[in-house]
Amino acid sequence: MDSNKKYWKGLEELQQTPAFVEKSKGEFAEPIPVEDVLNEAGLSTKTPRRDFLKALGFGLGAVTLAACNRTPVHKAVPYVIKPEEVTPGIPNYYASSFNGQSVLIRTREGRPILVEANPNAVGLVQGTESATVSSVLDLYDMTNKLQNPQIAGKDVEWSKLDTTVKQALVKASNSGKQITLVSRTINSPSTLQAIAKFKESFPNTNLVQFDAISYSGIRKANEQSFGRAVIPAYNFENALVVLSVGADFLGTWLDGEEHTQDYIKNRNYKSLEGGKMSRHIQFESGMSMTGTNADVRIAVKPSEEGAVLVSLYNEVTGSSLPGALTGNQRAATAIKLAAQELLKNRGKAVVVAGANNVDAQILANAINVAIGAYGTVIDLDNFSKKYQGSEDAFATFLADANAGRVGVAMFLNSNPLYDYADTKVVKDALSKVDFTLSFADRADETASELKAIAPTSNYLESWGDESSREGYYTIVQPTINPVFNTRQAEQSLLVWSGNIINIFDFVKNVWETQILAGSAKKWKDVLQTGFEYKGKLTANAYTFTGNVQGAATNLQAYAKTLAGEGFELSLYESAAIRDGRFANNAFLQELPDPVSKVTWDNYVALNPKDIEALGLGENSVVTVEGNNYSVELPVLAQPGQALGSASVAVGYGRTKVGKAGNNVGVNAYPFATVKNGVTQTAAKVKISKVSRTYELAQTQTHHTIEGRNIIRETTFAKYLKNPASESGRFADSHKSYDLWNKFESPGHKWVMAVDLNACTGCGACIVACNIENNIPVVGRDEVRRRREMHWLRIDRYYTIEEDGVDYTKEDDIANLNDFQNVKVVHQPMMCQHCDHAPCETVCPVLATVHSSEGLNHMAYNRCFGTRYCANNCPYKVRRFNWFNYWNDSRFDNYLNNEFTQLVLNPDVTTRSRGVMEKCSMCIQRIQAGKLQAKIEGRPLKDGDIKLACSGVCSANAMIFGDANDPNSEVSKALRSERIYYVLEEINVQPNIGYMTKVRNSFEA
Amino acid sequence: MSSHNESILREPLITGKNITYAKVTDDILLPVENKPNKAWWIGFIVAALGAMLWVVSVGYTFWTGIGAWGLNKTVGWAWDITDFVWWVGIGHAGTLISAVLLLFRQNWRNSINRSAEAMTIFAVICAATYVVAHMGRPWLAYWIFPLPNQFGSLWVNFNSPLVWDAFAISTYFTVSLVFWYCGLLPDIASVRDRATGLKQKIYGVLSFGWNGSVKTWQRFEIVSLILAGISTPLVLSVHTIVSMDFATSVIPGWHTTIFPPYFVAGAIFSGFAMVQTLLLILRKVMNFEDYITMFHIESMNKIIMTTGSIVGIAYLTELFVAWYSGSEYEMYAFANRVAGPYAWAYWAMMTCNVISPQLFWFKKIRTSIPISWILSIVVNIGMWFERFVIIVTSLHRDYLPSSWAMFYPTWTDVGIFVGSIGLFFTLFLLFLRFLPGIAIAEVKLLLKSASLQQKTKLAQEGAFPAEQVQHFANSLDKYDSVTQEDINALKQK
Repeated sequence: MDSNKKYWKGLEELQQTPAFVEKSKGEFAEPIPVEDVLNEAGLSTKTPRRDFLKALGFGLGAVTLAACNRTPVHKAVPYVIKPEEVTPGIPNYYASSFNGQSVLIRTREGRPILVEANPNAVGLVQGTESATVSSVLDLYDMTNKLQNPQIAGKDVEWSKLDTTVKQALVKASNSGKQITLVSRTINSPSTLQAIAKFKESFPNTNLVQFDAISYSGIRKANEQSFGRAVIPAYNFENALVVLSVGADFLGTWLDGEEHTQDYIKNRNYKSLEGGKMSRHIQFESGMSMTGTNADVRIAVKPSEEGAVLVSLYNEVTGSSLPGALTGNQRAATAIKLAAQELLKNRGKAVVVAGANNVDAQILANAINVAIGAYGTVIDLDNFSKKYQGSEDAFATFLADANAGRVGVAMFLNSNPLYDYADTKVVKDALSKVDFTLSFADRADETASELKAIAPTSNYLESWGDESSREGYYTIVQPTINPVFNTRQAEQSLLVWSGNIINIFDFVKNVWETQILAGSAKKWKDVLQTGFEYKGKLTANAYTFTGNVQGAATNLQAYAKTLAGEGFELSLYESAAIRDGRFANNAFLQELPDPVSKVTWDNYVALNPKDIEALGLGENSVVTVEGNNYSVELPVLAQPGQALGSASVAVGYGRTKVGKAGNNVGVNAYPFATVKNGVTQTAAKVKISKVSRTYELAQTQTHHTIEGRNIIRETTFAKYLKNPASESGRFADSHKSYDLWNKFESPGHKWVMAVDLNACTGCGACIVACNIENNIPVVGRDEVRRRREMHWLRIDRYYTIEEDGVDYTKEDDIANLNDFQNVKVVHQPMMCQHCDHAPCETVCPVLATVHSSEGLNHMAYNRCFGTRYCANNCPYKVRRFNWFNYWNDSRFDNYLNNEFTQLVLNPDVTTRSRGVMEKCSMCIQRIQAGKLQAKIEGRPLKDGDIKLACSGVCSANAMIFGDANDPNSEVSKALRSERIYYVLEEINVQPNIGYMTKVRNSFEA
Repeated sequence: MSSHNESILREPLITGKNITYAKVTDDILLPVENKPNKAWWIGFIVAALGAMLWVVSVGYTFWTGIGAWGLNKTVGWAWDITDFVWWVGIGHAGTLISAVLLLFRQNWRNSINRSAEAMTIFAVICAATYVVAHMGRPWLAYWIFPLPNQFGSLWVNFNSPLVWDAFAISTYFTVSLVFWYCGLLPDIASVRDRATGLKQKIYGVLSFGWNGSVKTWQRFEIVSLILAGISTPLVLSVHTIVSMDFATSVIPGWHTTIFPPYFVAGAIFSGFAMVQTLLLILRKVMNFEDYITMFHIESMNKIIMTTGSIVGIAYLTELFVAWYSGSEYEMYAFANRVAGPYAWAYWAMMTCNVISPQLFWFKKIRTSIPISWILSIVVNIGMWFERFVIIVTSLHRDYLPSSWAMFYPTWTDVGIFVGSIGLFFTLFLLFLRFLPGIAIAEVKLLLKSASLQQKTKLAQEGAFPAEQVQHFANSLDKYDSVTQEDINALKQK
């Protein structure tokens, strides 16, 4: 049905006006100006449509072109064929060894990034010292290492070098001249085998082993005493009384790291809980790290060290050798008491002498015989093979060379033009050798003077082995292909002697035919475990045949050459860079000395009283003159230094080691003398003031606790009466009130216990922490400005004792007269992960917050750098990135070098300028450990997670774990009566417990 | 405000003869309407060079990092925050003068409030630059505000005094700026009315269409009072919060409940000293002696003396409380201030802040222009040291002696500080050149009540007893802008 309704649009339509009728004829009521737009006039308007489109097109094109600027491409190419067991993000571990210590190399995506101790080798020689930990950086030290073999300073092909060397060898062989290989001690079976192979082709080959830091005195003394020219093993775990005369046996003397492991077993919290603690008495001139750990430390001059041994011998045996100690009452009393102790603990006591002096060592041997140390503490059968160098052999080589009897001289791990006492003699001798060659990885002081360099590969690129102790063999396996065109020395020797065998097969052969012969173990097992230990040989009985009388007389005569006018200088090995080998390792250069806390320099340590007497002050520089050698050195006021003595570290002043190590400090080797085939490191010197000043870069410049209870210490006698002695753990009547809510940690609560009795202050943890957490090395100037970035530091405090009273306050100390009697304590200090963290409340942007696992987190990306958190940290453990350390050319540290950057841990972000950072308790390791447990579908076990610091601490001074697990080691340790918390009275509720320092002193 | 006759016992706030409304405008607008004189140019060039030094130093810091300063792992704040607190403190006088004194009907403030407020604003600008410059990553400075963001639910930490500080300073700056500008409106209108061409246009825009109607004036008065009411608590709050930057910490020497009142008193102390420093030069160079009189100078000196004494008591209280607390860290912190490596700074502070203002007990000294000027500078040196002492000596030796360290400034530290003074004076000199340095309208209010000529007129008419006139005449002795002739005129019939 159609509707009849009609709608109209307006009255016009209804009325049908003529105008409407007219309009309604078209489609549109009003005409649309289409023509106007499309005609020529439209195109010629001010902005015609076409122009607009042109402009738009150009604009789009221009913007597109501008956007075509190539953005940096970061390639992340997946493996086409994934190598077995390489999973991006998952580290692989390879067993290897460094310096005779068994280690695990952590690699990520083919890059070695960390050296850790081999947990299987606990108790054996295990890699945990700072030099070992930091050795991974040396692999990436590419800008200073050689990339190709060199002849006369020019890069050549290996084939060319091989031809040249072979010619030289044949020529020498034919002319009947010697071929000498000068090396640091070689204890590697495969290297020795390679040399033997070489010798088969060139029978006139001669191996000369020479160590910059020599222990030939001990070997000679043992030969005279027992007929065995060896360095015995010292088993300090069997010693309840340890008496050291100038031996830094926890640090640089022989196997410091292994000694520490053993020594601490009688001093740590477990031992104390068993009511047992050894007594350590130290006589020395300079303050060594070992001296800082001694229960009783007596400062004696180098010239008195012999007399101390003579007196001790007299006391112990009741004889009266000449040359006993006179005029040092304190030492005399100590010797008397010590002798009683030694005799009382017969078979459980040992005397070690540090001097590389045959007579001193004979006397020490005699005393050890008298107190029954042999067979228990000292082991002549399972001897150390670390130091077999012989000054005699080297002297013979020099004589032969001077006489023109040497045709070819090759240097392996040896740098006598730097570290020999008299470099001129070496230089003259070398000039008379027809062909000289070095295997050094860089053109060092010696290599640069020689005709050819056949650069050897880093140990992380090499196959090999070591045997630092009788019956103990460790494997060296590569973790990366040689980065540059280098070839390991053993391979070179094999090539030159015509043995066509791959070094891998060669090493494998040596192991299968020599070391593993008769063992159930296979080569593959060794690659996995990293070492082969044959077990201890049963000790033989030895009769002492040394001439004590002669030794005492000789010591007396020797002392006379040192005593008298001037100062008695003793040289010592730097704890970080050792004999100078590691001088280009920035981590080690910035590792504070365990005692002086100086970085990046050596110095002459003097007693503050002597400094005053010489008219010196802070930052003074002196000339040290003696032994026809003279150097200018900055002065360090060292409490504990014997009056009239001075100590200088060797290992510094290298000139051709690389950018980091060149001209750091001065070379002190020329103060040494070779006397009767033994290097003597004491000398008589004159010290005089120089007008210039020099500021040493110290990480700690205030050295006493000012009477504060941040260090709590007691004596062993008091501890036995009351284990909570001095720890402040008394009746818990004190109620505290909180402004803040309590942080709940329902799952884990990560905490740490630090045993002040176990920490020796060595600093390996600092280096491990640096490498694990990508902490920048900032250089000497920044350390001077007190800006080192270490997340973990070891605070070292002195207590100065005078007339039986202990002084720790600055004002009192200013009036003291004798700075020789010093008690020292080392306190590892890092973020305390306070439950009521002062840093967290003051951060305006919540960049530092608390985790549910009790950790104090730092969100770098959120931090904008007000530094209030660092100001408000009572422990001052927060570190600020003052500059863009990783990308600022003024700081040539490992972070901004394209090669050394490869050592960075990919699990830890690098921090930009303006950001605060601090100890994270290795949160990446905690996370990895938790994930591993989760993947394996099991709860986390105590010990699954090791922090970089605690993992490297062979003394187990830092115990990390979960406080919510009552059975964890840390929970047990934290229940110790010795536990106290630093600054607990300000109620920041720190999570790192410290155990009181216990001293087993005489007075007690 | 006050159009009644004022007692002759009150000292005059405006001196000079034949002061008319027109003359006031002429006198005060002299520097604005004419080419600057030599003194202005010399001052401006020196100040601008200082400002350039500031640009260079801050630029260098931004380019290289905070490492350009002498800070270290132990002393995380030093000159930066010292300077910051110093400037904020100086900024206090402006608000106090404009707001608190307005509420208390202290008419003498009318001649000095304009410059004091300008000084406040420039001082707060200088202070704010440190807030940004001291950050490790200054380009992220906006994170201090709780802005909605794309970083997830990231928010600021309302527990942190630095957040309070950001609010306090920004509020203070905003309110001070608004207050100052509102006060400027009638005066800008005066400039507009007398100017021609482009200048007239610019000042026209700036005057917000001020037409001088009764309604306008009424609203102006109300706004002034409201803003004064808002500003008054700020005088107390800003420096209280600045003091909490320290007081809420755990560091001995910072962790102190006395800080808020002590900081506020110190701020007023330093602010008045700075006003004194500026006005003494201003009145001489700009010939404002008739408007900024000895009465003003003396009044300000009295305030300096009072607040200086409060500060002195605070110092002694701190020492007492440190001893009385029995806390060894607290005791050491103060012993270290008094006799430690930075003892020189402590004693500089004590001398400048505690001893020097006590000289103002002597009328001769507090009415002596050169001595007042020197002491006003001494006070601000002392106040700079006060902040340095609080910040650096507390930080450099706190709990663990192993971390004790010294702070040594670098050229950048010095450059930024000296530069900020340059920046301050650059801004201040530009202000004097383009805006009236004295509140014209407010001074005019006093002309018919508190001026010498008015009082002379009334005295001549015999409106006051003779002994009161004598007393008044005696009080004029100290005025350097009043001649003997003027005094004699009082007794003429």
